Amino acid sequence: MIYKIISKGALADLFAGLQETYDEVVGPQERGPAFVFDKLSSVDEVRLNYPSTILPPTKYFLPADERLFRFDRSTGDVYDSEPAQGTRAILGMHPCDINAVLMMDEIFMGDYVDPYYETARKSSFIIGVSCMPEPGHLCAAFGADEIHRGFDLFLTDLGDRYFVSCRSVPASELMDSYVRSCEPSAEDINDFQERTKRFKEAFAPMPKMDQLPLLYGAKYFDEELWERIGDDCLSCGACASVCPCCYCFDVRDKVDPGGKTGMRHRIWDSCLKSEHAEVAHGHNFRPTRASRVRYRFFHKFVGNFSRTGKMLCVGCSRCGKACKVGINPGSVIEALQKEYLPDTAGVEVFKGGGAS
Amino acid sequence: MTPHLFAAAPKPRVAVLSLASDFGCQVALSNFPQLLESLETIELVYWQLVLSADLPDDFDIAIIEGAVTTTEHEQFLLKVRGVAKTIITIGACAGTGGVPGMIDSQESLKQAQQEVYPSGQEGAGATPVADARLVPRPVSAVIDVDYTIPGCPIDSGEFSNILQGALLGVNERTEREPLCAYCKIIEAPCFYLMQGIAVTSAKAQGAATTATPCLGLVTQTGCGALCIGKGRPCTGCRGVAIDANLPAAREFVRKAGRSVEEFDAALRVYNSYYLEQRSGDEHHDSA
Repeated sequence: MIYKIISKGALADLFAGLQETYDEVVGPQERGPAFVFDKLSSVDEVRLNYPSTILPPTKYFLPADERLFRFDRSTGDVYDSEPAQGTRAILGMHPCDINAVLMMDEIFMGDYVDPYYETARKSSFIIGVSCMPEPGHLCAAFGADEIHRGFDLFLTDLGDRYFVSCRSVPASELMDSYVRSCEPSAEDINDFQERTKRFKEAFAPMPKMDQLPLLYGAKYFDEELWERIGDDCLSCGACASVCPCCYCFDVRDKVDPGGKTGMRHRIWDSCLKSEHAEVAHGHNFRPTRASRVRYRFFHKFVGNFSRTGKMLCVGCSRCGKACKVGINPGSVIEALQKEYLPDTAGVEVFKGGGAS
Repeated sequence: MTPHLFAAAPKPRVAVLSLASDFGCQVALSNFPQLLESLETIELVYWQLVLSADLPDDFDIAIIEGAVTTTEHEQFLLKVRGVAKTIITIGACAGTGGVPGMIDSQESLKQAQQEVYPSGQEGAGATPVADARLVPRPVSAVIDVDYTIPGCPIDSGEFSNILQGALLGVNERTEREPLCAYCKIIEAPCFYLMQGIAVTSAKAQGAATTATPCLGLVTQTGCGALCIGKGRPCTGCRGVAIDANLPAAREFVRKAGRSVEEFDAALRVYNSYYLEQRSGDEHHDSA
């Protein structure tokens, strides 16, 4: 890692370098009362002090609707199966979102490599930016408030200047070619520490994460608890749409009007839909709202955890904002913790229990 | 090399049929940019709007628009079901009862009849149908329907997709969940939440609220959040989604400081038949 200091004004030079180097530069910008990642045509459009965006930037690696290939039914040919080839610079990713991408990397570039994801991922240049916690942000609880890899450049806002971490060769080359920078002074490093301290202190109290996977397993069959949450669920799947760690997709074929050619594509799916766990002959493994909500958080807090040691949540709070009825990781963890786990009792509750 | 898949089989004979509606879906079909390509896959034997041919005695696929509003419609549908192998309904009227379905009881039927024909006359030369009029229902209330294309009007792309599926014998695949997830996909700020700020505080911050409550909370997805993308709340034209949680949606509307009565009134525009059918089991549909 190489560290540099650049002025705020130098962001325009960095942006110019990105525009010359990459086919597309995207970043957070305003849309009505919200913020979204979208194509930037000028540095003036970017809002690096944004609180959050409606969709996470993972949409660039796993789009909501992605063509896998086209086919011709009359000849049996398959074509247009190459992933999109353009290069993209993503400016302004928060640490939580970069952490989420690292988890997606394990899923889509781990044991089985997804060529579409991999191509989009490897043709992207990621510039992270520091943030300040907003109410509801739970990244600190999930250890996603810091990021040390998964980006090319990271900009920490020191008020009148950025503390820049360069993590890749293309990043260093870009900095050398386009941006006037200097080495961090003792004062810069001191300001960086001060900023980090303010950041850490700005978090509201985090949910109590004690023994969460075990606790979840133990309360998996607490029907009253899950039915209470399930009764509220609108089954809309908005939470999964906005989640940077949700990766379920459905594969569908669409035949063109002429009937001869068509497309196979994948679209985002979610475990909140009744169709998600339905199999041949109409059997449904999760027929009730309660079972679906329970499964969603089970997968996040226990399923993935038992496989990789990481919970599939970075505490970005997007689902909390998208959910109209207040079902989110914070409220679910609170519901799990409060009744049977008093502050002092800790793990005692599991004595003799069959938690797994 | 796969043998040519189209050569042998004769093209399915398709009839486009109308019940009570404003022909809006048929107009949408006639405006379909790729209509001619679609027509290569079928033999269109009857379509009152664009062809002069009479309805033949037999056909393979019936595409039906409109709500069932007379006993004549009922008899016609039973006959059609006996003839056609596949029934596809298009639009809200045929799918949910639609706007005609706002007449949802014998009383409101009688009242509407008196308002429209105060003298009891139905116009010179008209066949008297007053006795034959029914409280409007969707086609599926009378006969089995194989594919339902929702919306007011239908989306011609969705029509084409389902028609091609029907020609290939693909099972019907209904979108089950409400719209909200798709509003996120197009990144449209939510009318209720304004990106997560509860409506009460959104009001405090001067954010705009909509005149009618957005019905996307309970309405079947699949339209691409067309209205919301244009800055208008969902009117519920695709019908109440299978997965919709109406009691929880009403509770949310109430907590958001909006009127539940207003929400239900808006819902009745396209979903009166559904609400009437379900009025008895409102409290048992959280499964």
